[in-house]
Amino acid sequence: MRKILKTYKPFTHAGLLMAAQYRANFFFFILGDILMCFINYFLWHAVYNSGSAESFKGFTEVDMVVYIFISFLTTTIAYSDGTYAVGEEIRDGTIAMRMIKPIRFELAFLFQELGERIMTLFLVFVPLVSGVEIYKFVMTGSVRFNIVNFVLYFISLTLAYLINFYFNVCYGYSAFVLKNLWGSNFLKNCIVGFLSGTTIPLAFLPPVVSAVLNFLPFATLSYIPVMIYLGMYAPVQILYSFGLQIFWLAFFIALQQIIWNASIKRMSVQGG
Amino acid sequence: MKVLHRIRRVFKLHRIFIKQDLKKLMEYKIDFLTGALALFITQGINIFFLTIIFSYIPDLEGWTFDQILFIYGFALLPKAIDHLFTDNLWSIGYFTVSKGDFDKYLTRPVSTLFAVTVEKFQIDALGELVVGILLLATSLPKVNFNLSFINVLLFIISVLFATFIYTGIKLITASVAFWTKRSGNVIHMFYMVNDFAKYPTTIYNRTVRAIITYIVPFAFTAFFPASYFIVGGNPWYNIGGTVVMSALLMTVGIIIWNKGVTAYESAGS
Amino acid sequence: MIYVENLKKEFKKAIKEPGLKGSLKSFIKPKNEIITAVDDISFHVSKGEILGFIGPNGAGKSTVIKMLTGILTPTSGRCEINGKIPYKNRKSYVKEIGVVFGQRTQLWWDLALRETYTVLKEIYEVDDESYKKRMAFLNEVLELDSFITSPVRTLSLGQRMRADIAASLLHSPKVLFLDEPTIGLDVVVKDNIRKAVKAINAEENTTVILTTHDLQDVENLCDRIVMIDKGNKVFDGEISMLKTKYGQSREMKFVPEDLDAFNNLDYLGEFNLKDSDIEVENDGHTVSVRFNSDAVSVEKILNYTLSKTHVKDINVKDADIEEIIKGIYRSEVKLDA
Repeated sequence: MRKILKTYKPFTHAGLLMAAQYRANFFFFILGDILMCFINYFLWHAVYNSGSAESFKGFTEVDMVVYIFISFLTTTIAYSDGTYAVGEEIRDGTIAMRMIKPIRFELAFLFQELGERIMTLFLVFVPLVSGVEIYKFVMTGSVRFNIVNFVLYFISLTLAYLINFYFNVCYGYSAFVLKNLWGSNFLKNCIVGFLSGTTIPLAFLPPVVSAVLNFLPFATLSYIPVMIYLGMYAPVQILYSFGLQIFWLAFFIALQQIIWNASIKRMSVQGG
Repeated sequence: MKVLHRIRRVFKLHRIFIKQDLKKLMEYKIDFLTGALALFITQGINIFFLTIIFSYIPDLEGWTFDQILFIYGFALLPKAIDHLFTDNLWSIGYFTVSKGDFDKYLTRPVSTLFAVTVEKFQIDALGELVVGILLLATSLPKVNFNLSFINVLLFIISVLFATFIYTGIKLITASVAFWTKRSGNVIHMFYMVNDFAKYPTTIYNRTVRAIITYIVPFAFTAFFPASYFIVGGNPWYNIGGTVVMSALLMTVGIIIWNKGVTAYESAGS
Repeated sequence: MIYVENLKKEFKKAIKEPGLKGSLKSFIKPKNEIITAVDDISFHVSKGEILGFIGPNGAGKSTVIKMLTGILTPTSGRCEINGKIPYKNRKSYVKEIGVVFGQRTQLWWDLALRETYTVLKEIYEVDDESYKKRMAFLNEVLELDSFITSPVRTLSLGQRMRADIAASLLHSPKVLFLDEPTIGLDVVVKDNIRKAVKAINAEENTTVILTTHDLQDVENLCDRIVMIDKGNKVFDGEISMLKTKYGQSREMKFVPEDLDAFNNLDYLGEFNLKDSDIEVENDGHTVSVRFNSDAVSVEKILNYTLSKTHVKDINVKDADIEEIIKGIYRSEVKLDA
């Protein structure tokens, strides 16, 4: 483990520097995306005004607003560029070079991305979490910050990032078939966005659909961490959720390895 | 005669590039399908989201489901048309200027703006266009749209001018690149505001309403004109506003663009 | 035809400091410095002339060309071509010029080459009759036939360059700007391109402005050269003038029978020369003697060498433009321009 850290630490440093270089760009980009949260905020506000009930499916208006922003935060932090990175390498052929390098391709990339993630964490995490907590305080008149939930959320968020990273690397291999990286990435993002509950909490979907989606890996990317933050899960359910996250993480690591081995074989047969 | 000749030239050039893009489409069918499907599904998911919301409430602050769908569908038309024809403006902000590739447009005896936009016909946008038309077609019988000649004419006018609101905003933000080298993320930030226009502006607070009406006036690309057709209103404001905003943005956009072109520094070599 | 007076171009450049702290600092308070790429350049070109525009990397050649073609707006000074000011009457001006940048194509990457020309025909409003004639002529000079139906992205570098030149000539421009037209090409293709440029210049009296690093291009094509360095003009005149004025450098090559005998020669002492006037190089087989023919004549060097040693072969080289220019770049040759 220590050896791994030593080998790959420079990548993290490089990622951090790169992210710092482009932070102004990144800032504008995030600002554009955060607008979506405000649209949803107003939309839900109107929904709660129009309905007769205080809460829908156990979500009060305050819960829903927290849900919107924390789920945005979660997807932003757990974001991974793995699909593009792998896709570009396949498209320009450099992936063949990876076979002769003494470092593991996905680990080098993971550590580089961790550097960027740290930068993102600084830029969005603190302002969003404090914003949400202040909003909760103003709306309810009492401090409702739960440190245990927060710590559990952070663990779950970390797992979500790792799952997303390996999932994206696996998906990146689709570039062997699809050349339109922009299109296929966009398609993936909008489907995953829906399945992971960022569009609407999974609880709002028909019970059968919701039950299935709750088990799929996508729920572990956003829905589960956010529900933990909201304190909507009982201890048993939290334990079960961590189990599910670990299961899917192991699944995608294994899948990544299998595809990688298969493509090495394929490349050595076809000669890259 | 001269004007006619120029119009003919514009159409001919568009035709050549569109033909080429269609040819490419035949060559890379799967890629086109992924692109168009992506845009189609994104919108589809949003509609599904609205359907679910409306299963919990009878109406949204007075707006029925069908009215919301009509506004949403209307919003997609100018967005898709702009997307079809001026997608190359994004490349100006992301890399054309910073890499110095803008040089080639300056050596052509046509306006730089025309040279840039004619080059790319973004066929993926058909995904959005189809959803927009489908939504309008399905909601039309259930909203109070009076299909008179004048209304149809106003409809066409408002879609046309709304398209130029999109183009104008992209033009202004893309031009920033002439001074800063890159402005892709600035385009992104302002462009994203268009999503506010898909819903009745009555659901927003005063600040947001002021922003999307007067500063980044996307409200005129959808809610104002669309609501005129289904609940009525002052045509001079609802549709005239679209025309005025559109003309204003395009004028400012072209002025800034032209100023930017003189400030353009190419790339060192 | 082309008048350039006191042309000047300055660029603003952001100073970036290294490291995280530095980039944070420049984000909050950006610092700029002003770089003068072109500093006060004047020259003029008459109709039908082929002018070579040369200078080392970063001398400001491209910047000048970009100002002359209307891509960049000068900071001060003026240029007038065919009675037009490029950056002011851009649209009508560029109709009369052709531009080729060797480093990047102006053709549409995905269009078939023929299609590209159809687009250009429309853009430049060339009528059908002239277009047909023009294509026939360009086809003859540049041999486009074999690849005219292929998409531009599939062309080889040499084909692409020919296609680019043809594209710039489609509308029969009065002035042709060629920025590094032979960069990265092999000898045969380079030669073809030079022939084509000559043919076009002869046929239509087209004025040609050419920047290049390949001095063969200059020797083969240009009537006159303008040399710039660090944004300033350092030479303006005919190539023959450059040779008579600055071509004192001579090189003699000897293949000696006995190398040791050569080591005993003392040119410096014999002719009372300065270190900078002579240079002897011995590669173990051939001995090269480079010297300033103003300081000591060819005859004297030859007589002295032959009187002391036996040689198998002798080779005397004339003033080579390449050597002269290298000398000027290294500022060994003094200029009184």
